[in-house]
Amino acid sequence: MSTEKLLNGLRIIDLSMGWAGPLAARNLADMGAQVIKVESCTHFDWWRSWEATPEWIADNGAEKALPYLSVNRNKLDITLDLEIPVGRQLLLDLVAKADAVIENYSGSVLPKLKLDYPHLKAVNNELVMVSMPAFGSTGPWANYRAYGSTVEHSSGLPHLTGSAHQPPAMQHVALGDAIGGLNGTAALLSALWHKQKTGQGQFVDLSQVECLIPLGAEGVLHQSVHNSPPPRTGNDHPDFAPHGVYPCQGDDQWILIQVMSEAQWHALQGLCTELSGFGALTDRLERRHALNNTLAQWTAKQKSSALMKQLQGLGITAATLSNGIDLLEDEQHKARGYMQWLDRAFVGSQPHPSLPFRNGPDPSPLQNSAPTLGQHNGEVLGGILGLSDAELEKLAVDGVIGDKPTLPS
Amino acid sequence: MQQTDTAQTKPFDGLNVADISGTVATSYACKLFADYGASVTNVEPAQGFPTRQLKPLLPKAQGGETLSAMHGYLHCNKASVVGNHYDLTAEPAVIQADLIVYDPATLPSTTSLSGIHANTCAISWFGLSGPYTKYQGSDGVIQALTGLMKGIGEEDGPPIIPNGVQAQIVGGLSAFNGALGHLLGQLMGNLTQPFALDNSIFEANMCLTDLMAINAFNENPLPPRMGINKFPPTYPLGIWPCKDGWLGVTTLTPGQWRSFCELLSLDEFIDVDFFNASVNRLASADLLEPAIIEALASYSAEALFHKGQAMRIPLARVPTMEELFSVDQYVSRQAFSSISMDDTTFLAPSIPFRLFATPPHFGGRVAALGEDTPAMTEAKV
Repeated sequence: MSTEKLLNGLRIIDLSMGWAGPLAARNLADMGAQVIKVESCTHFDWWRSWEATPEWIADNGAEKALPYLSVNRNKLDITLDLEIPVGRQLLLDLVAKADAVIENYSGSVLPKLKLDYPHLKAVNNELVMVSMPAFGSTGPWANYRAYGSTVEHSSGLPHLTGSAHQPPAMQHVALGDAIGGLNGTAALLSALWHKQKTGQGQFVDLSQVECLIPLGAEGVLHQSVHNSPPPRTGNDHPDFAPHGVYPCQGDDQWILIQVMSEAQWHALQGLCTELSGFGALTDRLERRHALNNTLAQWTAKQKSSALMKQLQGLGITAATLSNGIDLLEDEQHKARGYMQWLDRAFVGSQPHPSLPFRNGPDPSPLQNSAPTLGQHNGEVLGGILGLSDAELEKLAVDGVIGDKPTLPS
Repeated sequence: MQQTDTAQTKPFDGLNVADISGTVATSYACKLFADYGASVTNVEPAQGFPTRQLKPLLPKAQGGETLSAMHGYLHCNKASVVGNHYDLTAEPAVIQADLIVYDPATLPSTTSLSGIHANTCAISWFGLSGPYTKYQGSDGVIQALTGLMKGIGEEDGPPIIPNGVQAQIVGGLSAFNGALGHLLGQLMGNLTQPFALDNSIFEANMCLTDLMAINAFNENPLPPRMGINKFPPTYPLGIWPCKDGWLGVTTLTPGQWRSFCELLSLDEFIDVDFFNASVNRLASADLLEPAIIEALASYSAEALFHKGQAMRIPLARVPTMEELFSVDQYVSRQAFSSISMDDTTFLAPSIPFRLFATPPHFGGRVAALGEDTPAMTEAKV
C-alpha cells in the first residue's frame, strides 16, 4: 500500500479557505483521505481572489489563482450557500457521513450560521472537528481576525530577527499560514488516531499564533531563564565567525557561510588565502568586522552555486540563497523527483511539491489537480447524499449551488 | 464553551516511540507524540543527546552539570536510557518500539539498526538520497536553499539569517505528520507492512516558499526583496512604532484599506479608487508611508489594535519576549507551561493544538541522562 492510499476510507469536510486550513486538509488528501471542500458562489475561497471584479469572473480568474491550485489538489469541490436553509441542511447531511471537519473562519462566523461544533456534533456524535482561528477558539481575542502576517506579528518572532538597530523584522509575507497548516494536519491526524482507537470524536482547537511560538523557542526560553531576551545580533553568531551572508557575482546573488568548527575554518582558510591574517576563534570573534569584509571581497568574485559546491565539498556549512527559478532547477529536488506536474483546466500543466516524507525511494505520486468551483456537486450531492438530477437542477436554479463565482449584490 | 467531555486518557496512550538520535528535529517529532501520551524513550549515547548542549543553558548550580533549557523544552515527559549505538538491536526500548525515530548522520555505524523490522522514521537535512545527502546542513542552509532568506532584509542586502532552530522544528513537525499518517494507515488496515520513512527537512520547509517556484514556472515576476517588513503583494503590511510599542498592520482587501484610513483619519486616501487595489498601494508605498508612520506614532498601539479589530482590520500588537508571557490571550490559553529540570523550572511554549476530550501534557519533568536505564534493564531481565 503506497502513501497515496494510506487514509482511504476517511472523509473530511474542508470548510477552510486561504492557505493554512486548505494546506492542513491537503496533506490528508495527499495521503488518500477523501477531502470535500465546501465553498459557495458568493463566498468562494478568498485565495481565488480578494479583489473580485466582473472582468475577473468573465476571464475565469477563479480557476487561475496559483496559490489556490497549490493547496487544494486531490480534493473534491462543492458549492453550498450556507446562508440558505437548504444549503445549511445539505452541509449537515454531509457532516453526518464524515469523519472530520476542518475550518479556519474567524470565531464568530460558524456560530452565526449555527454550524459550530455543538450543532455539527448533534448530527454526528463521533465527529472530529478541527477549528483553527488565528488566536484559538477561547480567550478574549477568540473572534479577532488575522492573516498569516498578523500571526507572525503576534508571535513575538519579529523581535528575534535582525539587528538591534532595526525594527522588529518579519521573515515572510504569511509565515503563520504554512506553519499553521502543518499543525492543522497534526491536529487532524491526532484526533483521527484517537477516534480510530476508541470511536470517540472531539473538538480540536488550534491557535495559529501559538503554532509559531515554538519557532521562537530559543527566545522564549532565554527570556524565561535569564529574564532578558537574546541579543539581536543580525547575521553575527555569538560563538562562531565567520558567520553571515556574503555577496557573490551577479545582481542580488549571495552565499551563506557558517564556520562552526576549527576544521571548517582551516578548510576555508586553505581555499581563501586572503584569510591568512586571521587566527583562532577568539581572534576571529574580536575582529569579526574585518573578517567579514575580507571574506566578502573574496566571495564577490565567485559564483554562488559553484562556491556552495566547493565549500560543501570541503565540509564547510554553506548555501546559495535561492529564488523561485533556482527552486525549479535545484539539483537535490530534481534528483529526488520532488516537483511533480499535474494538468489542470484553464492553466495547463503545473508544478506541485511532493509530500516531504516518502516511504521508499520515490515521492508519493500525486493524483489530481485542484478542483474547479463546484466541480463535484453532482458526484458528492448525488453520489453521497443521493440527490436526483432534478433536485440538483432545482438547487442550481435557487442559487444554492453553482460553478461560477458571483459578486455580492 | 466548546469543551467536550474530559477524560484522563491521551490519544497516544500505549504507543511506544524510541528516539535514538536526539537532534532538534527528531526530538520535536517525538515531543509531539509525548505531549499526547506516547511512551517516548530517548536512547542516548553515553555523552547524552546533542540537544543537551544547546543554548540557552540554565544557570549552573554549584557543583552541578550544565543543563540546557532547550533540551528540557524538547524532552519533558520522556524517559532516558543510555544505549549502545553501535548495535541498537539489543536495546529493549528499540525492540519494543512501534516507531523508531532517527537521523542517520548521528548513528556511528550503518549497521546500528540492522535487522530491525519496526517502523522507522529517518529525519535528515536533505533526505536519504540525492547529491546533497552529505552536505553540511543547518537551519540557515535550509532557509537559504528554500528561498526564505533571500526575501528578508534591506533592499541592498545582505539578507538576514532567521534566528534559532526554526527549520528543524518545521522538519520535526512535518515528520510527525508523516509518521502518524502511516501509523494511522496501519491502524485502519490500509498498510500491512512496516514503513521506513525518509523525511527531508529541506523539503518540509519548502511549504513556506513553494509558491515562489510555482510563480517562477508561470513566469510571474519574482518578488524582489523590498526592505525590512515589506513584502508583495500588498501594502500597508508591516510593523511600525506607536506611542507605546509596535503595531503589526496588514490590509489586503479594499474594505480593510478604507477602514484603516478611517481608523487613522487618513481622509485624503479613503476615496481614491486607485488605492483599492493592493498592488497599487504597494507600488505607491513611498507616497503612503510617511503619512501612515506619522499617524501611527500619535496613537497607542494597544488602543489601535483593539479598535482596529473591532473594525475588522487584522491589526496586531507585536509583543516582545518579555511581554509574551503576560499577553492576556496567551495567559488565558496557557500558551506557555512550566518545565521542571533538576531543581529548576522555566516556561516553554505549550503544544499549539488542543484535543479537548484528550488534553495534552502542559509542561512536565525532564529525565536526567540514563535515569531510566535501571528500570529498562530490570524490565528486560
